[in-house]
Amino acid sequence: MVIVEIINSPIISFPSDNDRQQDGAELVFNGRVRDTENGREIVALEYEQYKGMAKVELLQLAENTVNKFPINDLFCKHRVGKVDVGDTSLHVVIWSKHRKEGLNAMTWFISELKKRVPIWKWAIMKDGTRMPSECTH
Amino acid sequence: MEKFEMKVTLKCFSFVRYALGQKELVLELEVGTTTETLEKIIREMAQRKLDGIILRTAVNQSYTLQSIELKDGDEVVFIPPVQGG
Repeated sequence: MVIVEIINSPIISFPSDNDRQQDGAELVFNGRVRDTENGREIVALEYEQYKGMAKVELLQLAENTVNKFPINDLFCKHRVGKVDVGDTSLHVVIWSKHRKEGLNAMTWFISELKKRVPIWKWAIMKDGTRMPSECTH
Repeated sequence: MEKFEMKVTLKCFSFVRYALGQKELVLELEVGTTTETLEKIIREMAQRKLDGIILRTAVNQSYTLQSIELKDGDEVVFIPPVQGG
């Protein structure tokens, strides 16, 4: 099963699940906003999405990942709007029988997300100016 | 000779918005205009601010893998490198 959400408010993590007796791995990834952008200090990132297409691409990617790797479930929340330094912008949980396939799936999912899903970020500087982020990591 | 025109909506994100200074533009184009031609027009409008930036194309919310002929009412986005995560 996959669940994807693109939300405009602080991310509340998916709860850990103690009832999954067949899944030996529960992997959690939280992507957070760093305090620098190309060596310059920032106060926040503002994420913008191409509404509609971003959700469709994210859902397709999650389904591709579940089909490509032997994992059971993938849940993802991506935040848009202003996200302060230190806050979570991306939250992903993958459940799988073994750790290795879960780790591989997580790496692939996040790498593809950064190639396919039309979401961008603007760096908000200390003086309030906004610039398109040049970071693609 | 009469030129047949159509309207397409261009939505602008990230570097494209920064270069054009607009979130959205409605453009009147000659019938038969392709996405490749429109990208050239947009790059000219941006006055070199999009030089070196690879743009992918989405029409009506789906990526297009090659240049296609636009239709009246289409929604087009030239997609700079995405940056989710």
